[in-house]
Amino acid sequence: MYWKILDDFNFISRCKKYRIGLWQCPNFLFIVMAVITIAAMLGTNYISKFYDDETVTILSVSGVAILILVIGNFIIRGVEKIAEANIMKSEFISIISHQLCSPLSAIKWNLEVLETEKEGEEIKMTPKQLLFLGNIKKSNEKMLKLVNDLLEVIRIDQGRSVFAKENVSLAQLVKEVIIDLEYLWGIKGVKINLENNSSLPRVFVDPKKMKIVMENLMGNAIKYSNDDSEINVILKSDGKKVMFIVEDHGAGIPHYQHDKVFEKFFRSNNSSKYRTEGVGLGLYLVKAILKNFEGEVWFESELNKGSTFYVSLPVTRG
Amino acid sequence: MDEQASKKILIVEDDRSLQNALSEMLNQEGYEIVCAFDGEEALEKIKEENFDLVLLDIILPKKDGYEVLAEIKKSEKKDVPVLILTNLEEVDNVQKALSLGATTFMVKSDFSLKDVLEKIKENLKQ
Repeated sequence: MYWKILDDFNFISRCKKYRIGLWQCPNFLFIVMAVITIAAMLGTNYISKFYDDETVTILSVSGVAILILVIGNFIIRGVEKIAEANIMKSEFISIISHQLCSPLSAIKWNLEVLETEKEGEEIKMTPKQLLFLGNIKKSNEKMLKLVNDLLEVIRIDQGRSVFAKENVSLAQLVKEVIIDLEYLWGIKGVKINLENNSSLPRVFVDPKKMKIVMENLMGNAIKYSNDDSEINVILKSDGKKVMFIVEDHGAGIPHYQHDKVFEKFFRSNNSSKYRTEGVGLGLYLVKAILKNFEGEVWFESELNKGSTFYVSLPVTRG
Repeated sequence: MDEQASKKILIVEDDRSLQNALSEMLNQEGYEIVCAFDGEEALEKIKEENFDLVLLDIILPKKDGYEVLAEIKKSEKKDVPVLILTNLEEVDNVQKALSLGATTFMVKSDFSLKDVLEKIKENLKQ
């Protein structure tokens, strides 16, 4: 506790941590301002003892006000510098991600050419070559997903994401996502139980974006599950809303982290234990995308017992 | 196959490895392929030859895809379907391309070659 308060005053280490100069560091500037204010009060008090003339007091108070204004200006500049750095960071991520997209797409398409044999032609590759080709393809897909998630976060933050909404059957989408995620559940031997109400009403969403939501929730459930365990995926409706529920019996999220789950770059403390990949954008994306569909997401989670994520979407009207 | 053999497609793409994959796939399908690496080259080729379809990237040297698209639509070759193939998926980019007269907007990282082929077939039928 005391140590934490002391740490707040250790502005030199703070400045180093944030990689900014002393005179750009708000922590340091606030202390300078506090010292000046205290010194000014004591000084004014001291001076007023020797001089009866009001002008002297007024002048000294004005002098202090000007000093505080100057320091305040330094603080504003410091904050501006931080805001600028934040914009530069987003732009940097955007440029890098766009630059990565081209070669990754090129790898994907060139692999597709290798795999596609012209009708009547013999397959020239040995099973070993096909296996390693498959590995390259999977790694490339992982990279593409990561880069696409990054780009999608930037697009959503900037309000530049395309939402092409249409009437969609979630049952159909879930089936596609289960197939797409085979590279995850296949290796771990995780079984996905799909419980599906046959007369599920349609929802008005962008199927591509809705797939990102499902991929992230189901992907997390698989990643944080133990080998050979089961996860339940449930689709149901009460006529007004359609619910999409993903339940796992894996790692769970510790209670003290519950309010951080949907934050950008959040990763649970368990992630290293489960050797999961990812950068902590998945659930942030899920929440941001659902907001555009007037949908909601929430969860229940118990450490070492598992997590259940709930998505609710309004049923298409009319 | 025979019907497609007469169809001629221009690929405007500065990334050679993307271009290779595209032309190989389309060649296998029996299309006649011409390639351009930048915007100016693309416009010259469109002026000289008649194409049934143009595949156009947006970020290109010399003249970008928007300029190329705008000039095609101003020329006498304005009826040729132009399919945008890019990684700029932002809503403003999509709207700009479509308002300039692009037929379809495709995102490279989302589309497999088969998906691109489907779109090409769809647009050549019309």
